[in-house]
Amino acid sequence: MTKQLGIGPGGGMKARARAANTAIYIALAVLAAIWITPIAYLAISSFRAEKGAFLDGYVMPKGYTLGNYVRLFTDTAQFDYPRWFTNTLIVAVFSCIISTAFVLMVAYALSRLRFRMRRPIMNIALVMGMFPGFMAIIAIYHLIKIIGLDKSLVALVLVYSAGAGLGYYIMKGFFDTIPRALDEAAIIDGASRFRIFWQITIPMSRPIITYTALTAFMAPWVDFILASVIMKDNYQNYTVALGLFRMLERENIYSWYTVFCAGAVVAAIPIAILFVIMQKNYVEGVTGGAVKG
Amino acid sequence: MGKRILSRALATAAAVLLPAFLLAACGGAGYDADRDSVHSANVALRVWGPQEEQANLREMCEAFADANPGRSYSFEYGVVSEADARDRIMEDPAAAADVFMYSNDHLRALAEAEALYEITRNKDDIEARNLPASIDSASFEGRLYGYPMTADNGYFLYYDNSVFSAEDALSLDRMVEVAVAAGKKIFMDVSNGWYIAGFFLGAGCSLSIGEDGGQICDFNSADGLKAAEAIRAFTSSPVFMTGDDPVFQGGMGASIAAGVSGTWNAEIFREKLGDRLSATKLPSFSAGGEEIQMASFGGYKLVGVSSLTKLPTHAMDLADWLTNEENQARRFETRGLGPSNIAAAERPSVKADIALAALAEQNVYAHPQNDVLNSFWTPAESFGLAMENNAGGDLQALLDTMVAQIVAPPSG
Amino acid sequence: MQDRKKTGAAGFFRPIGALFSAAGEAFAHGDWKTRLSFLVMGFGCLARRRFVKGLLYLASEILFILYIALFGSRYLKDLGTLGTVTRSQVWDGEEQIYWYVQGDNSMLILLYSVLSIFFIAIFAAAYFANIRSAYEAQAEDAAGRPAPGMRDAAASLLDRKLHTTLLALPTLGVFAFTLLPVIFMILMAFTNFDRAHQPPGNLFTWVGLQNFLDIFWMNPGKSKTFYHLLGWTVIWAVFATFVNYLLGMVLALMINKKGIRFKAFWRTIFVLSIAVPAFVTLLLMRQILQDQGAANVILQQLGLVSQPVHFLTDGFLAKISVILVNYWIGIPYSMLITTGILMNIPADIYESARIDGAGPLKQFTAITLPYMLFITTPYLITQFIANINNFNAIYFLTSGGPLSLDYYQAGETDLLVTWLYKLTVSFQDYNLASTIGILLFVVCSVVSLVTFNITMGGRKEETFA
Repeated sequence: MTKQLGIGPGGGMKARARAANTAIYIALAVLAAIWITPIAYLAISSFRAEKGAFLDGYVMPKGYTLGNYVRLFTDTAQFDYPRWFTNTLIVAVFSCIISTAFVLMVAYALSRLRFRMRRPIMNIALVMGMFPGFMAIIAIYHLIKIIGLDKSLVALVLVYSAGAGLGYYIMKGFFDTIPRALDEAAIIDGASRFRIFWQITIPMSRPIITYTALTAFMAPWVDFILASVIMKDNYQNYTVALGLFRMLERENIYSWYTVFCAGAVVAAIPIAILFVIMQKNYVEGVTGGAVKG
Repeated sequence: MGKRILSRALATAAAVLLPAFLLAACGGAGYDADRDSVHSANVALRVWGPQEEQANLREMCEAFADANPGRSYSFEYGVVSEADARDRIMEDPAAAADVFMYSNDHLRALAEAEALYEITRNKDDIEARNLPASIDSASFEGRLYGYPMTADNGYFLYYDNSVFSAEDALSLDRMVEVAVAAGKKIFMDVSNGWYIAGFFLGAGCSLSIGEDGGQICDFNSADGLKAAEAIRAFTSSPVFMTGDDPVFQGGMGASIAAGVSGTWNAEIFREKLGDRLSATKLPSFSAGGEEIQMASFGGYKLVGVSSLTKLPTHAMDLADWLTNEENQARRFETRGLGPSNIAAAERPSVKADIALAALAEQNVYAHPQNDVLNSFWTPAESFGLAMENNAGGDLQALLDTMVAQIVAPPSG
Repeated sequence: MQDRKKTGAAGFFRPIGALFSAAGEAFAHGDWKTRLSFLVMGFGCLARRRFVKGLLYLASEILFILYIALFGSRYLKDLGTLGTVTRSQVWDGEEQIYWYVQGDNSMLILLYSVLSIFFIAIFAAAYFANIRSAYEAQAEDAAGRPAPGMRDAAASLLDRKLHTTLLALPTLGVFAFTLLPVIFMILMAFTNFDRAHQPPGNLFTWVGLQNFLDIFWMNPGKSKTFYHLLGWTVIWAVFATFVNYLLGMVLALMINKKGIRFKAFWRTIFVLSIAVPAFVTLLLMRQILQDQGAANVILQQLGLVSQPVHFLTDGFLAKISVILVNYWIGIPYSMLITTGILMNIPADIYESARIDGAGPLKQFTAITLPYMLFITTPYLITQFIANINNFNAIYFLTSGGPLSLDYYQAGETDLLVTWLYKLTVSFQDYNLASTIGILLFVVCSVVSLVTFNITMGGRKEETFA
């Protein structure tokens, strides 16, 4: 009896924990359903046999087909999706690498290094991004044109990654939490600051690097206005977003809407894959790793 | 010390960047066309058209080269739709194609910015062979700024002839009665300035440009009020249905039995309804006890020449060629586009097309869009939305607010 | 901390004064090699066998002179007027056309002048560095010290000077593609670049503060719209930033909780919604939520409503729809960010809290929330500003609609920035748009700088954890 009494509160806690977990499972399941439904509907629409963007008084398709995907990849005379997909992938990979590098560099410098101008730089960087962006586009276009890169994929990589350094906050905040004692110990061991950056800080920052890389990778898939100004009439260098948008024009939407859905589904695949690959980095949290050791 | 390295980095950056700018600087000479270009043996022209026109465009340009022996032509094709041409040109006129396609509602902005070459070469012939309304739409302040290419950017009535008779389709009131009995809907995107204007223009209201360059609009006159009452009667009837194009496309032939739209939907409806599809001019509506024929906007697609072209004579000759009778007929055959060329429009195959025939019927009541400024669209749409939502209140007050916004410039 | 607080103008201009005094000192005490560097950049370095540095200086001088001579001067000379020559035409009876002689293009004059001024500033920096290098080389030679080798310089760039190495490229990128365009836009607010003055055919020119006066004298209809949109913009930004962030954090905490299985699976489900390009989801939602859309069809088939719910066409409902749809897009992002940081909270803090008897809620408010806010305040500020300027979410979902005649050329869900965009597109009054942009910018910067410096400046950045 006494034994049981001793265990009692512990057992009660366990039961409560189990109840809490069950509640969380239910909440997660409901939320997951809410989040997955629109995407599922997009996927279903991409297999729909009936054309048109609008179903007259019903929700689920009356017929299914793979034809939309076939058309997406073969009917390229008007909408060269495979080519646009490749373009976007190239731009996304390069601008992801450059942007992530820039963010890492700036965040590290502002978090771990001490130099004159540090605080002014932080303040200036903070306000720089606050001007409504759409009016800058024409100026950016003309600058790109002067260096002869207009209508090129290189230009897109440049404009997506050049200003990336301004978005250093979240990464800097993360670096700020890494104990400085680690750095100091390494300096005593004779490591240069670059080695500390490269061999201690970066490996410890995987979750946040994953996040930065993901967002940078996504920008080219989403941007529409900037890309249309820079690409002008060069259909060959269109990105997926530009091309998909064309499918929704008045003359095209009826026969291309379901193909548009298929295109959106295919465009989602690289980002999903990238995340699944990087998922591992999330599981290896910082506190579980180096700091404790 | 730190600054020294920083400066060195900057100097290096300058050393890398400056040559690029210098290169650009040397290339960026003036834009003036040279009179010698008239006789140059090599003619390189850039041409813009929408993606669905590209195949046509290539063949027509090559035929143009063949028709002008003794010169060597090279063409560079770019994809810019008629709707996007204005934006792409205004962003950087120097990057515009020599010859491009655009829609006539963008003519004013382009002409005011002097981005268009005035068409003077062969002008009498162009004026003689195209519909007068299309010439009007290609003109601004008495000068011609484009070659009419199509005359199909307007709207009319599609209906299911198993529900409505041809006689029913003459009157909106009659159509509403029939639709109520049949349990069908009548579609019109009333919350859209382009369509809703049909009521007001039909009732005798007008849009024009004042001496200060601002919009003049009398939609709040007594005539306008009559039109607004008719709109309210229509939108509050149970058979009224609104939405964007996909809604009409999805519902036509099923829940929707008639609606207002343009030629771009003809193929879709033909596919869905087959022989049940009919098209005609817009119906009349009753306002203040009288029947009034609904008017419309009539739009045209034009071929323009960039004012910055270095080869104006050749660019104009090509634009002329792209819009001649043969090529307009070809555009009808390949893409179903209605010709602005009088002879092409008279061809039997064009006359037999039900959508184009309906558009031609409606063209008598169509107004050009040249005198519509951009300030018109948003307030007109707001008004249409208030009608669709069956907003109560004083119609005259709503009209006054709408007109006040249409005529007011943003600043001052 | 050697990191003295040097904010604002003082921190900015003191170094510039120092540059001039250093240059004066170099001229006073320099020998002829050093003094010749004032004229021929890099001479002092070259004469003292610091070849790499010297050649770089020399090259930048030559390139700069070429640039100004061939390109910059053409536009800089017109900066005061922004061009005076309009297009002229000559009739050609034989060819039956006008021949045009193009005039000046005010916009290009303005843009290229800004670019040239940017280069002049870079050149000035290089120029002063050149003098300093020459003087330092002289001092090193006089003291008999050897010139620092390239290897030492490189090693220093990876250690003591690492910040220079790290910041060089990102700074260059920001200067070229963010700062330059912003300066260009700001200058437009002081011109009459409106629909009556569109290039290439028309010139525009400087009008001083006229546009700002126009805004403050705006007619009541427009200022009513302005205040309404301002209010909604702030409400929107609060919901889209803070509530979104909190909900994302709660989601992350649920997934991260000890004992919850399939963590990777849950995360992936929510990330899927990020994977689909946002404009697609927004357009899809627009289809689903419209009066005849899938949502209404389902509601009607279930018999829950008899008339369609006006998710997007009723002003109040549309606002709620916009906020909720934005959650659908935004919460997974917040979940991702917070997951990374939450895992970084040292577990022993929680442990000691638990020993002190703190329940889950207490732990959240006493540990998790302060910790997260500490790290992410700057991020939240920038997110807040980004949401004030969140063009895409509104533009693709409702385009600002439902439109209302109560507002001037605007709808119920229009943010200030989408209204600005509409005004720019439909009226081409770039000067007005730019002026409103500046006013917004000033408000945003003041608010965020104050918040930023109160939250960050008041404490040491290292103290937490």
